[in-house]
Amino acid sequence: MKLLRRIAAWLHRDDETRGLREEMELHLELRARKLHQAGLAPADAGFAARRQFGNAAVYQDQISALWGWTMWERFLQDLRHGIRMLVKAPGFTAITVLTLALGLGINTAIFSAVNAVMLRPLPYPQSERLVSLWEENTQPQDRRFSSSGSPVGSAGGSQRTTVSVANIADYARCAAFDDVASYAFVPVNLTGMGTPQRISGEKVTWNYFSVLGISPVEGRAFLPEEDRPGANPAVIVTHRFWQQRLGGAADALGRSILLDGTPYRVVGILPAGFQSPVQLGLKEPIEVYRTASYANDLLVSRGDHEVNVVARLKPGVSVAAAQAALNGISASLGKQYPDSNGNFRAAIAPLRDDLAGSASQSLWALLGASGLIVLIACVNVANLLMVRAAGRRHESSVRMALGAGRLPLMRQLMTESLVIAAAGCLAGVVLGRLLMFGLTAIAPPGIPRIESAGMDWRVFAVSAALALTTGLIFGMAPAWHASQAQPVEALKTAARGTGGAAQVRWRTALTVAEVALSLILLIGAGLLLRSFSALMGVNLGFRTDHAIAMNINLPKLSYPEASARLRFFQKLEERVRTLPGVQSAAYANRMPMRGGWSSGIFIDGDADREVEPDFQAVSPGYFETLGIPLLRGRLLGAQDTASATPVAVVNQAFARQLMEGRDPLGHTVQHESDTPRISIVGIVNDIRRAGKEGEIKPEVYLCAAQTDLYPVQLADFAVRTAGDPRALVNAISREVWAIDKDQPVTNVRTMDEIVDQAVAQRRFQTLLLLIFAAVAVALAIVGIYGVLTYSVGQRLSELGIRVALGAPPSAILGLVLRQAGALIAAGIALGLAGAYGLTRFLEDLLFQVKSTDWRAYAGAVALLAVVAVVAALIPARRGARVDPAVALRQE
Amino acid sequence: MLILKTLARNKPMHGFAIAEFILETSSGVLQVEEGSLYPALQRMLLKDWISGDWGKTEENRRARYYSLTSEGRKQLARELDRYARVSQAIAAILQPV
Repeated sequence: MKLLRRIAAWLHRDDETRGLREEMELHLELRARKLHQAGLAPADAGFAARRQFGNAAVYQDQISALWGWTMWERFLQDLRHGIRMLVKAPGFTAITVLTLALGLGINTAIFSAVNAVMLRPLPYPQSERLVSLWEENTQPQDRRFSSSGSPVGSAGGSQRTTVSVANIADYARCAAFDDVASYAFVPVNLTGMGTPQRISGEKVTWNYFSVLGISPVEGRAFLPEEDRPGANPAVIVTHRFWQQRLGGAADALGRSILLDGTPYRVVGILPAGFQSPVQLGLKEPIEVYRTASYANDLLVSRGDHEVNVVARLKPGVSVAAAQAALNGISASLGKQYPDSNGNFRAAIAPLRDDLAGSASQSLWALLGASGLIVLIACVNVANLLMVRAAGRRHESSVRMALGAGRLPLMRQLMTESLVIAAAGCLAGVVLGRLLMFGLTAIAPPGIPRIESAGMDWRVFAVSAALALTTGLIFGMAPAWHASQAQPVEALKTAARGTGGAAQVRWRTALTVAEVALSLILLIGAGLLLRSFSALMGVNLGFRTDHAIAMNINLPKLSYPEASARLRFFQKLEERVRTLPGVQSAAYANRMPMRGGWSSGIFIDGDADREVEPDFQAVSPGYFETLGIPLLRGRLLGAQDTASATPVAVVNQAFARQLMEGRDPLGHTVQHESDTPRISIVGIVNDIRRAGKEGEIKPEVYLCAAQTDLYPVQLADFAVRTAGDPRALVNAISREVWAIDKDQPVTNVRTMDEIVDQAVAQRRFQTLLLLIFAAVAVALAIVGIYGVLTYSVGQRLSELGIRVALGAPPSAILGLVLRQAGALIAAGIALGLAGAYGLTRFLEDLLFQVKSTDWRAYAGAVALLAVVAVVAALIPARRGARVDPAVALRQE
Repeated sequence: MLILKTLARNKPMHGFAIAEFILETSSGVLQVEEGSLYPALQRMLLKDWISGDWGKTEENRRARYYSLTSEGRKQLARELDRYARVSQAIAAILQPV
């Protein structure tokens, strides 16, 4: 209430002031009349009335202070003065505001990405109660658990895997959970609606949507009885699917769509904009959801870890409490089923944190780096302000001599700093938005939700808080120094205004800090750059140029037998080989860098010694198409048919790691004790199947024609061409449709693209950190240049005397450069110490490079030293060329 | 307290009238710089003890007439109470035993 009255009074303050004056005048008049009536002369009565009244102006001041106007008025006055001063020095203002805008802009952009990916709640009701659940193998050397999927990642010595369907019912019994649902990403062939297409979909348990807190806008969610083997096939489609593929038809519910050749009835349509947890971080939209309908044998097979699990915690239950309850369940399962569950335990984490996953590491590192840039920008602006304050020492001194208090002077300077901070903040937010667009545009796929990065209150609050803090920090130093001014001393030295010893020390310290901070960034960028070049230098062991791979997933319904799938691919290879420009064609279960299979095998029937190499089914043309050279023995050939002796080719790593130095040729491998022994007939070169960051693993290449006994499915097709492989995509697709008009061709990528995509995230973070380091170095150079230029300007007369006394220009040059050298050396020493402490946080982002890699350190130091000295040379040369007559006349 | 009491005892008054009233009722004993009345009035306006409305004097001059609000009445009661206690205490100390 009081505040409201104050504000109302402030808005009408002119009226109020006038009214008050009127009141007082009336008072004086009435008093004078009264006194006159009492017998005083009119003039005397007026004086007496005034005497009796006291000083009206003082009372008016008291009243305006009472209403809190004074503070405001002074602030506005300072503000006006500050803006005027800044407008008068446009160069200075532009540089400071730009410096700040750069720092704040970069920070705003990175923070908005951090916010989008890691901080903002997921788009589900009460999403903070959603947790992701996975299982961990506490004995990761036992790798038989994974038949199809590769392990998802590792956490603290134990290896993370997807969840065994059979265990879910036990976890759901945990009292901490409201409900538990499972889901798996399962693409599907959509036919009967134009060209056959492979679309993204999920297989989910019936309660999936209720766990997420989402209900369909049309129709209904799945029923429990639809989630059983043999139930009527039901599908829930996304709003987008309904709009784009069903034309938004009102009667879409109840329609049938063909998925993998089976008719599914549409029972529900999801709300527009719904994104499943899988969708976050995936570019292709997920369009259909089918029930998981787990087979009965899967529901009892606790060793098959196949699905993702999301659970909703009961209200008020913490993740830690739920984890503790789960540990109990894992332990009792381990006792009950020691074979399958002995080494496994269930783990949970908030769904949001789990989805952000690996992106969070590099984002935190980038946020840290952008924080350093803000610091550098701050230091730079503080430096500039100090220089400016030094120039205005005279002004301050005069004001102080005329009776200005220290406090109002400080306040004046602080207000100016805040004006700069506010302008910098505004410019920074605008720049940040622009940078953000750039950032999301070049961001590699796989960073969940980055596309939704934008301004929200959190981003804005952080930027504003940052601007205010920086304004206070860089405003403080000059304000403090101004308040320390000794008017007498300063006026004695007249307009020369040397900064004073303390000021020079301060500025030197700031410049040293700047050099140190930018060195830290430069070293960080250097480490990432070295990692990246190490990565690029990795030899994959196969040729990626002029090769294109695609996925042709034959549905089980039309191709139930392995032999049928083999016939399809044989036919396709024959047809494609005859296309002009095709040099060779190959098919396999998976091409390198596109997933694969690994399995336990016995060597020479020795059941006690089980090893686990990669285990691939490949066509005879595979080695030629991928350019994998044969070292010894022979390759697979057309003679290795289903009825011939089973043969395999292995790589060098197989010989090296699994044969204990023996020659693998002539030995056999065996998948299970009841499957035939496969003779090793050749040795080929090593490859890195998993890509540049993967390791070289032992490989067994089986002949595609001889793999119907094994759970590998032919699904990938690749072609080596003479020219641009992309030109052949349409021709190849036509050949596929000539064999089967309903068969989609998906995931078409040249091998080069695949390699490129695999390093995209690394390139992204390396590029960003390099840009940051460049910005930091540029700012540091401006700082060094500024300080030295100023210092040379200050010492002009001294240098003039030296020249007049016969000092050669080289001596003057040396003098200034020595000063610069000391600055740079101190900054480098400090920066090295800081980098040593900080780069260990980068360790997880490095590849084959240690965080203490001396080359990165040396390179960064050399680069910074060179540019810093160059920056110092300009003012130094100016000092050396000084004309003593001119310099002395300035005195 | 004096201003509040003055306003409580009379109909709305303007500044000069308040000063006159206090001066007269106290028989000229309480005499301060009359201007100090105005900051005091403003302070009470801010605290919402009194309200001020512009009106016309008998000679048709614009003047602000102050009157007590209910909050001001309460404040007056509080102050009178405190004053009574203090003056009692002083009286008790000064009383010859």
